[in-house]
Amino acid sequence: MSEVASFFRGTWTIALYTWREGMRKKIIVAFLILSILSIVGSFFLTAFLSQTTGSGMEVDMQAKQIKDIGVAVISIFGVLITIFISASVVPNEVENKVVYTVLSKPVRRFQYLLGKFTGAQLIIILNLVIMGGLFFIAVYMKENIMPTLLLWSVLLTYFEFLIVSAFTFALSCAATSAVLPTIGGLFIYVTGNLTEYLKDVSERAGQTELWLDKMTGQISKALFYILPNLQNFSLRHQIIHLAPNDPPRDILLPNLIVYGLSFALAGYLISYVVFFRKEL
Amino acid sequence: MSAVIETQNLTKIYEASLRSQDVHALQDLNLTVEPGEIFGYLGPNGSGKTTTIKLLLGLIFPTSGSIKILGSKNIGAAAIKRKIGYLPEGAYYPDFLKGEEVLKFYGHLYGLGGADLDSRIDKVIETVGMTRARKRLIRGYSKGMRQRIGLAQALLSDPDILILDEPTTGLDPIARKEIRDILSGLRDQGKTLLISSHELLEVEMISNRVGILYNGVLQTIGAVENLLTQREVLIHITEISGGLVAKLDTAGLTVEDATDVRLSVRVPEHISVYDALEICRAEKAVIQSIAPRRETLEELFVRVVGAAEEKKTAQA
Amino acid sequence: MKNLPRTLAAVGFAIAVLLGAWQGARVRHLRESERFYRWILAQATRSKLFAGDIDESDQQRLDVALYEEIAQTAEPALPDVAVGDDDVDAAGKPFSKLTLAARDDQYSSLVFELASGNLLAEQRQKFLQYSKEKKISSVGSELDPNTMYAEGANVSLGNIFFGLRQVAANFVWLRVDKYWHQGMEQRMIPLMRLCTSLDPTFVDAFLLGAWHLSYNMTAKMPDTPEPLKEWNEKYQARIGDKELYYYIAIDFLKDGIKKNPRNYKLYFDLGYAIYNIKMHDYENAVTYLKEAVRYPHEVWVPRMLNISLEEGGWYEKALTGWQEFLKRNPGNLTAPRFIVRNKARIKEKQASEAAQRAKAAEDPAVAKAEKAEAEKLRDEAIKIYESMNEGGEDPFAVARIMKIKAERLIENGLYLEAAALLQNARWKSPDSWDEFTDMMIQAKIDGGVPLDLSEKKYVLRKEEAQKYNQAANKQKPAPVQ
Repeated sequence: MSEVASFFRGTWTIALYTWREGMRKKIIVAFLILSILSIVGSFFLTAFLSQTTGSGMEVDMQAKQIKDIGVAVISIFGVLITIFISASVVPNEVENKVVYTVLSKPVRRFQYLLGKFTGAQLIIILNLVIMGGLFFIAVYMKENIMPTLLLWSVLLTYFEFLIVSAFTFALSCAATSAVLPTIGGLFIYVTGNLTEYLKDVSERAGQTELWLDKMTGQISKALFYILPNLQNFSLRHQIIHLAPNDPPRDILLPNLIVYGLSFALAGYLISYVVFFRKEL
Repeated sequence: MSAVIETQNLTKIYEASLRSQDVHALQDLNLTVEPGEIFGYLGPNGSGKTTTIKLLLGLIFPTSGSIKILGSKNIGAAAIKRKIGYLPEGAYYPDFLKGEEVLKFYGHLYGLGGADLDSRIDKVIETVGMTRARKRLIRGYSKGMRQRIGLAQALLSDPDILILDEPTTGLDPIARKEIRDILSGLRDQGKTLLISSHELLEVEMISNRVGILYNGVLQTIGAVENLLTQREVLIHITEISGGLVAKLDTAGLTVEDATDVRLSVRVPEHISVYDALEICRAEKAVIQSIAPRRETLEELFVRVVGAAEEKKTAQA
Repeated sequence: MKNLPRTLAAVGFAIAVLLGAWQGARVRHLRESERFYRWILAQATRSKLFAGDIDESDQQRLDVALYEEIAQTAEPALPDVAVGDDDVDAAGKPFSKLTLAARDDQYSSLVFELASGNLLAEQRQKFLQYSKEKKISSVGSELDPNTMYAEGANVSLGNIFFGLRQVAANFVWLRVDKYWHQGMEQRMIPLMRLCTSLDPTFVDAFLLGAWHLSYNMTAKMPDTPEPLKEWNEKYQARIGDKELYYYIAIDFLKDGIKKNPRNYKLYFDLGYAIYNIKMHDYENAVTYLKEAVRYPHEVWVPRMLNISLEEGGWYEKALTGWQEFLKRNPGNLTAPRFIVRNKARIKEKQASEAAQRAKAAEDPAVAKAEKAEAEKLRDEAIKIYESMNEGGEDPFAVARIMKIKAERLIENGLYLEAAALLQNARWKSPDSWDEFTDMMIQAKIDGGVPLDLSEKKYVLRKEEAQKYNQAANKQKPAPVQ
C-alpha cells in the first residue's frame, strides 16, 4: 500500500474506533436524550400562543419560539458534548494504555492525533445531525415548509464548536486526565464569548497616564485581535429569522467558515506541538 | 549476528517538578538482546523496566545514550515498528468489540488489510488458541482470554521482536503454562522475545538470558545457566548424635531444618562433599540422600538486589 | 532534525493564528458593515416614512446629516431606481436614489456592497465613531447581539445571555401572554418593551404588543369627549387617554419598522389595523399599506390596500389596484366585485362633482348642462350597482342606489323622503353609516325637519370637535419646507 494511502488508512481506522467508542459514552447519550426532550418539550411549552391581531392577521408565536428554543438547546447540549468528547479522547486512552498498543505500531503521533481529532469531530457532527435533524422535523411539522436556513444555523454551530473542540483537544494532549481539559474547555467557551469585552477594556484604558493602564490597553487590544471571538458565530441564532435575501448573511457565512477552520487548525497544530514529545 | 536490541549508555532522567527532585529512572544502561532468544528483563517495582520498554518503543525519549533496533537507530521508522510486537501490562481492549474486531483494528494500524489481514488474523488466533471465542465480545472474556488477544495483536505483523510486559500476571497455572508454551514456540520459530516479568520461576523456565535491573542500573546480565552458578549438595541425615551439628558447623557447613531426628546439610561448592560425609560417618549418622542443588533465579535475584541495596545504603 | 516536525507544527500554528486573526479582522469589518447597512435601511425608512415625527433628542440631527452625506456620496454608484408618484418628501422633492434603493429587495446586495466598500469608507468610520459617542440614534444589528437597540443605554445585553437572548425574550413573552389572560394589562406594557429590547427581530411581539395597546387595553374605554381631549405636542393632535394608546401602539410599530424595515407585517398592521380601522386615517393607512406590498407579502395585503384606497376616496387608484390584483390572481373571486364597485363609485363621485358644479354655476345653461351630466352619471352608477345585484341582493349596492336616489330627492326639495331613504340605507350598509348619517341630518336641517335628541347630540359633538380642532390647527407649527 502506498505511504499516503497507509497514512490515511491508519488515521481513518483510529477515527472510526474513536467514534464508535465515544458514541457509547453514557454522558453523551444522556446529553443527546436531554436535548431531544427539550426540543419536543418546546412544542408543549409554546402551545396556545396563537393570536389574531386587529387586522385579522394570525400571529403564530409557536414557530418562532420552537426555532429559538431549538437553536438554544443545540447550543447548550452541543457545546457540552463537544467539550466532554474533546477533553477525553486522548487522556482516556493514555490512562487505559491503549495509546501504547497504538503508538507501538507503525503509527506516527501526527496520524494518531489526527485520527483522534477526526473521531471526535465525527461524534460532534453526528450529535449535531441528530439534534438538528429533529429540530428540522419539528419546524417542518409546524410551518409545512422546508426550513433550509436551519441547516446553515447548524453548520455555523459546528464551526463554532470546532474551535472550542480544537483548543480543548490541545489542552487534553497536555493533561493526564480528562478533568482539567473539561474545565479548560468550558473556560475556553466562556472566554471565547466574552472576547468582545477586551475591546471595551482597550478603548477605556489609557485614561490615566499610568504605564500599567496603557499596557493593559495594549495587551487587551492585542488579545482582542488574536484570540478567537465566538460571538462572531452569533449569526446562527439570527439566521433562522432572517429574510431569504440577506446579503450580510450570505457574505458572512463563508467567511465565518474560513475563520472557524483557521482557528481549528491552530488548535490542532498546538496539540501536535504538545503531544509530539509528550512522555507517555 | 548483530544484536536485535542494543542500548548504549542509555539514560533517562525525569526532571523535577516544583515539589520533587529529579528521578534517575535509568542510568547508563548497556543492554543487548540477541536474535532468536528469550530475554528475561527483571527488577523490583520502580527499577526502570517499563521505562526501558517505553524507550525502546519510542513512547518516551532518552535523556542521553542510544538505542538500536535491528541495527537501526531510527526506532520510530515504520519499517522497524512493523517488526515489533508489544503487549503492555494490563492493557484495555474495548469491550464493545469482538475479539477478531480488535485484531482487525490493530491490523489496519499495521497497514494490513483485505484478505491478507484476514488470513493473518486466522493464523494468530489459532496460535493463541482463541479460535472458538473470536466472535465473542471482549466483555465476555476472562483475563486469560484478554491476555491471549493481547498476544495475538502483538503477533499480527509477524514481528521479529516481541516485547511482553508481564504476560502471565494474574493468570491461573494452566493459562500460564499455555502462554509459556506459546512463547517457547515463538522462540523456536526464530523470534526474539523480551519479557519483563515478576514471575521469576517462569522466566527461569523459558528464558535464555536474563538481566536484573535495580534502581535504574543493570546489576547483572547473562545466560541463565551462567548466572545461576552457585551449586550446592544437599545431604539429608537421620540418626543424629549430640555433637554432629557442632562438628558440621565447625567445618563450615550449613545445617537446615534440624529436628531431633533429622536434619539437612548444605555443602557449598568450595568444600568437598566427602569431607562432609566423613564427619557424618564418624558421628554414626545415617545418610538418607545426597542431591546436587542449583541456585534459583529468585535466589539470584534476591542476592543481587540485596547486594545492590547494601551498596546503596553504604554510599548514602 | 529530530524536532523538525514540531518546529514545522509550531510555525504552522503561528500561521494559522495569523490567518485566523486576519480573517477575524475581515469578519469584524463585515459585522461593522452589517450594522452600517442596517442603519442605512433604518434611516431610509425613517426619511421616507417618519421624517415628520418630532423627536426631542437632538441625536436625530446627526442621523439626518450623516444619512444625507451618504446618500450624496453613493448617488453615482446607484442605478436609476423607478420613482413612483408618492416617492417625494413633504416638500415635494424626490427621495434620494439611496432611499429608493434601500427599500427595494433587489438592490439589497448593492446597498450592502456600498456599506462595506471603499466608496463609503469615510462615512462608515464616521458612523462607527458616532455610534461609540452616542451621537446617532442607537442602531442594532441582526447579526451582532452586542449592539442592541438601546436608546441611551450603555449595556451590552447580548453578552450576558451568550446569544440566548431570543430565548429570554420568548420566555418574557410567555409572561406577557399570561398577564393578558389574567387581565393585567398594565403589567404587560413594560414586559413587551423588554421583549423587543432583548430581541429587536421579534416581529410578533411588536404586532401583538400593538394589538394589545390599541385594541384590548382600550376595549372598555369610551371615546374621549372633545372637551376632555388635550393637545399633545409630540403627536400634534388633541387626544384623550384612549387615543393616547393608539399613538403608543403606532410608536411601537414604528419602532418595529425601524428595526425590521423589510417585514410587511409591521407596515400592514400599522396601516390597516390602526390607521384604517381604529383611526380612520386613510391617508396614513394607504402610505403604510403601500410599503407593505413592496416586500414579500401575503395575498390579502394588496386587497386591504385597495379597500383603504376606496375608503379614502381614491376610487381611481383603487380600481387600478384591483385590476392589477386580478391580473396577478386570475382566479380571485373578490376582485371582480370590487372592480365593479369602484367603477360605480367613480361615476357617483363624478356625478356629485357635476351636481356641485351645477349648483355653483352662474350661467343657467352651464348649470343645466352640469345637472344633465350629473343625472347621466347617476344613471350609469345605478346601472352598475344594479348589475352587482344580479347574483343576489348586494346590500352595499342597494344602499348606494338609495343614496343616489336620496340625492335626487334633496335636489327636488323632498327632504323628509330623502331622510327616510337615508335612514334605511345606513342600516343596509353599516360601512357607510357616518356618510349617510351626515347626509340625513343635513337633509333634515335643510328641510327644517326637527332632529331627534341623538341627532342633536351628534351635531353638537361635531361642532364642538370642529371648534377644538380649528383651535388646535392654529397651534400646529407650519410644515417644514
